[in-house]
Amino acid sequence: MDYRKPSFSFFSFFTIILCSNIPQISAVEYPINVWPKPTTFFWPNPQAILLAGNFTISAPEHRYLTPAVDRYLRQVLMEHHLPLVNPPLNLKSAPPLTALVITVADVNSPLTHGVNESYSLAVPSSGENAILTAQTVWGAMRGLETFSQLVYSSPSSVACGLYISDVPLFMHRGIMLDTSRNYYGVKDLLRLVKAMSMNKLNVFHWHITDSHSFPVVLPSEPELARKGAYGESMKYTAADVRNVVEFGMEYGVRVVPEIDMPAHTGSWAEAYPEIVTCANMFWWPAESDWPNRLAAEPGTGQLNPLHPKTYQVVKNVVHDVATMFPDQLYHAGADEVVPNCWKVDPSIQTFLSKNGTLSQILEIFVNTTLPYITSLNRTVVYWEDVLLDAEIKVSPSLLPPENVILQTWNNGPNNTKKIVDSGYRVIVSSSDFYYLDCGHGDFVGNNSKYNQPPGTPQGDGDSWCGPFKTWQTIYNYDITYGLNEAESKLVLGGEVALWSEQADSTVMDPRIWPRASAMAEALWSGNRDETGKSRYAEATDRLNEWRYRMVTRGIYAEPIQPLWCVKNPGMCNTVH
Amino acid sequence: MCYTKFAFSLSLSLISIFILCSSIPEISAVEYPINVWPKPTTFHWTSPQAILLSPNFAISNPDNRYLTAAVNRYLRQVLKENHQPLIEPPLHLTSESPLQLLIITITDLTSPLTHGVDESYNLTIPSSGSTNATLSAHTVWGAMCGLETFSQLVYSKPSIVASGLYISDVPLFKHRGIVLDTSRNYYPVEDLLRLIKAMSMNKLNVFHWHITDSQSFPLVLPSEPELAGKGAYSEDMKYTVEDVKLLVEFGMEYGVRIVPEIDMPAHIGSWAEAYPEIVTCANMFWWPAEAKWADRFASEPGTGQLNPLSPKTYEVVKNVIEDVANMFPDSFYHAGGDEVVPNCWKVDPSIQTFLSKNGTLGQILEIFVNSTLPCITSLNRTVVYWEDVLLDSIIKVSPSVLPPENVILQTWNNGPDNTKRVVASGYHVIVSSSDYYYLDCGHGGFVGNDSQYDQPPGTDPGNGGSWCGPFKTWQTIYNYDITYGLSEIESKLVLGGEVALFSEQADPSVMDSRIWPRASAMAEALWSGNRDETGKKRYAEATDRLNEWRYRMVTRGIGAEPIQPLWCVKNPGMCNTVHPFVS
Repeated sequence: MDYRKPSFSFFSFFTIILCSNIPQISAVEYPINVWPKPTTFFWPNPQAILLAGNFTISAPEHRYLTPAVDRYLRQVLMEHHLPLVNPPLNLKSAPPLTALVITVADVNSPLTHGVNESYSLAVPSSGENAILTAQTVWGAMRGLETFSQLVYSSPSSVACGLYISDVPLFMHRGIMLDTSRNYYGVKDLLRLVKAMSMNKLNVFHWHITDSHSFPVVLPSEPELARKGAYGESMKYTAADVRNVVEFGMEYGVRVVPEIDMPAHTGSWAEAYPEIVTCANMFWWPAESDWPNRLAAEPGTGQLNPLHPKTYQVVKNVVHDVATMFPDQLYHAGADEVVPNCWKVDPSIQTFLSKNGTLSQILEIFVNTTLPYITSLNRTVVYWEDVLLDAEIKVSPSLLPPENVILQTWNNGPNNTKKIVDSGYRVIVSSSDFYYLDCGHGDFVGNNSKYNQPPGTPQGDGDSWCGPFKTWQTIYNYDITYGLNEAESKLVLGGEVALWSEQADSTVMDPRIWPRASAMAEALWSGNRDETGKSRYAEATDRLNEWRYRMVTRGIYAEPIQPLWCVKNPGMCNTVH
Repeated sequence: MCYTKFAFSLSLSLISIFILCSSIPEISAVEYPINVWPKPTTFHWTSPQAILLSPNFAISNPDNRYLTAAVNRYLRQVLKENHQPLIEPPLHLTSESPLQLLIITITDLTSPLTHGVDESYNLTIPSSGSTNATLSAHTVWGAMCGLETFSQLVYSKPSIVASGLYISDVPLFKHRGIVLDTSRNYYPVEDLLRLIKAMSMNKLNVFHWHITDSQSFPLVLPSEPELAGKGAYSEDMKYTVEDVKLLVEFGMEYGVRIVPEIDMPAHIGSWAEAYPEIVTCANMFWWPAEAKWADRFASEPGTGQLNPLSPKTYEVVKNVIEDVANMFPDSFYHAGGDEVVPNCWKVDPSIQTFLSKNGTLGQILEIFVNSTLPCITSLNRTVVYWEDVLLDSIIKVSPSVLPPENVILQTWNNGPDNTKRVVASGYHVIVSSSDYYYLDCGHGGFVGNDSQYDQPPGTDPGNGGSWCGPFKTWQTIYNYDITYGLSEIESKLVLGGEVALFSEQADPSVMDSRIWPRASAMAEALWSGNRDETGKKRYAEATDRLNEWRYRMVTRGIGAEPIQPLWCVKNPGMCNTVHPFVS
């Protein structure tokens, strides 16, 4: 460990503040804010000082922290951000701030679930060094982001006379992006990771493959992408993945891969038709009712758990993916296994005719694949369906809670409760709150719903999870709603999800931001003020500013209000 | 008039005679390997094939300032675009000699770009390049539409063009537009230019520019510089006289008219920054805690209405109108007239006095209309008002103040019912029904401190707090018949329609994706309709065509949003439902 410029000024500063017995004032009154709002923010006398032209950041040498430091140093010197509302801060005539000194207690902690992300930041008003202390380099990155948001104007000024002590409420704060329904270029994924880091989100859950396309090139199974990708230019090579993973490390964002199976695998059939049931069939034939659909949406195909070849391919896939993605979590999908897709297969028909059940078939699949994934030292995430599906599910005895995490998406808090009651850790992605694609109509063609006589109620516009989830809907959702304290501890965090039937790089930024920012704050420091009251009203102005800053940083977050509202605080509220 | 290369027009007539005599049944364009959006009215392509475009390909045209600019643009595009469709068109590339020339002939070079101008055209592309392709139109504006069609028939590298075809095309509706609100949030000029460009690709012809509102006044007016000086969001969020000139000229080169809207007497809170004395209820909290909805000061945050009883009002308004009419040559002038809110006027002492003498709010609006409408019409303008001026339940004017020969009404409430009421009163109408044509709907409310988003889980979220929700899908827009429930005579009063993007939650970050390809859906419905030859709605077959068209717009720099997974395009029909919707 290399502590350059060890300094005691931080401690003296800290002591002064702690002893001065100033009541913590609500950050809404602060002239400059940090998103997500820090847990503790002491700023008794808001003012600012200049950042010296030769401002430096010192930090222990570290493969990932050092590039982050270089990046933030460039940013604080060059960003020259002008807030929408000019912060009414008195610029002190004190000497400019010349250094930020970073100390890290344990530079060896890897970026993994549960890593300590806490940090403390002190920016004195005297021009003495600012101090950032953290347990880990990942916490230091969070602190650097906070510091960068306190810098503004040209020449660069920084808020001073403040002390921040910050630690997230939830360890898992992520975004799920589906790159199978439509493809996203690597540069879009890098921009996503960058924006996540700005919002202190730490998990990019990459839903890489699905029935529609198989864009990831796997060394042991190159045919899957060669035949299953949309096109030669719509693939992720091993080098692309390495690039995204390494980039994530420099930004403190883990990349959790998902190869969905055994359902949502139609694209595998291009290379291996023999292991996929009901491939390339029309998803919901005219003569059948909904329970007899072949897939939950257009694009059919499920792996055949009774075919030995299935496991040869799956093993290669799991092995390659685990090699390419170092994260300890491996998402194995397991959502929406549809009965009829298996039932049309002769081998499965034979199994069923001998009093076998579809659930037993899923159990065969899980029993044959889960141990292999865990043998690679991975914790497996499944969608809740594997346990909670009404028809095809496995016995909890096959899903050891120490190796399995379930991700919930149906029935709001009810399913979260069911899962934790079964003793599992849970990641919350409730489609009632966290699905970013909802409220945009249906993508299925030839839909007569949209051809009704005028006057017919339009209802929710035929979006299965409509209406649109506003940033407030997301912000206000308590992911531990209805749980007791012990149960709540099993809630690791949450992920907003962008399914891409009607999304691609043209809309990625505005569909995700600033709504993912809303979740980012709710999971970092909560959605309530010191009195326990929901703080969505005061968050509005802060989010307007933060959304604008993201735009100036190259993230096309959508506006949440007219600019007029920012310039006339409170005037766009309702009091009813 | 100057017809360059006039002699070639003979070959056009020969080809069209040949085609017209060959008595081949028109086949549905859905089977065509390459398509044009909006789908042309008539498209004969008996034996789909393609020929190369010669590297020396040229377009000859009669000299016209705007047409020449368009020709140069399209020439560059067809030679350089090298578009690769998502589905490679299964077209036989004939060994015939490459196409050398597209010859444009125009009957009337002087027709200005105005409402009702003839936009029809005929395009013939022979199956051999030894004959020239011909584009004939009555006006340069029709020729521009034909050039766009031609450009969509060109693809691949080296450039190939669909051949052996004849297109005869004419729009169903004359007015096909987009409303964009640049007051709630600002859009730089480059975004407006891109909007016009995309409109032209879709054969839309009216950019209805809702320039000002209560939130900001971005337009710099020479006679009233203080309005933008104090009412714009900031120094770099203004439209100068030069900006407007650039936009109007750009529109001409793209065949897109610009109809300015300065909304009044409501929606003018931003005027109060410069002229507080002419604005009632300015800068008040829009809906006080103690007030019922009926007693709100504005329909949304941002209060202020012009005071029709203050003489000073008309000094300013007259200057505004004259400047705007000078800057925007179009014969339509949109004067707003929507959402006049009673309480905003009632708090003003002079209005209270008037009311106390048995005057009514409707009379006050009549005073305003009577004092401003003649001023606008005297500048040789047809005035467009939102329907409210006639149909509002509380504050409206007598039809006698609105001469139907000078006034068009734009409908936005109650779907076809209000359209019917407007035409039944004898007015021309532009349809912007919020049930179908509002692009901002279904995105939640923008108002802050809204507790409806903080209900316990399990609470029915209803339509998500969007007053006009749900989101209008491209199909909702495509399928709407804007003359629904009207007789043939009434239908003739329907000039066309406009999709509208009000910008409380929109700005350049989402402009393209909120507008496209949904405005494309309206563009086709208003150009050649939403039904096939048998009268059946053609939204199912339009899906694949729109997927391709959306993709082509993206490659042309318009960030249109996807409507389906790419998989659906590559597996035609497989993403359909065959189950009819049951409500």
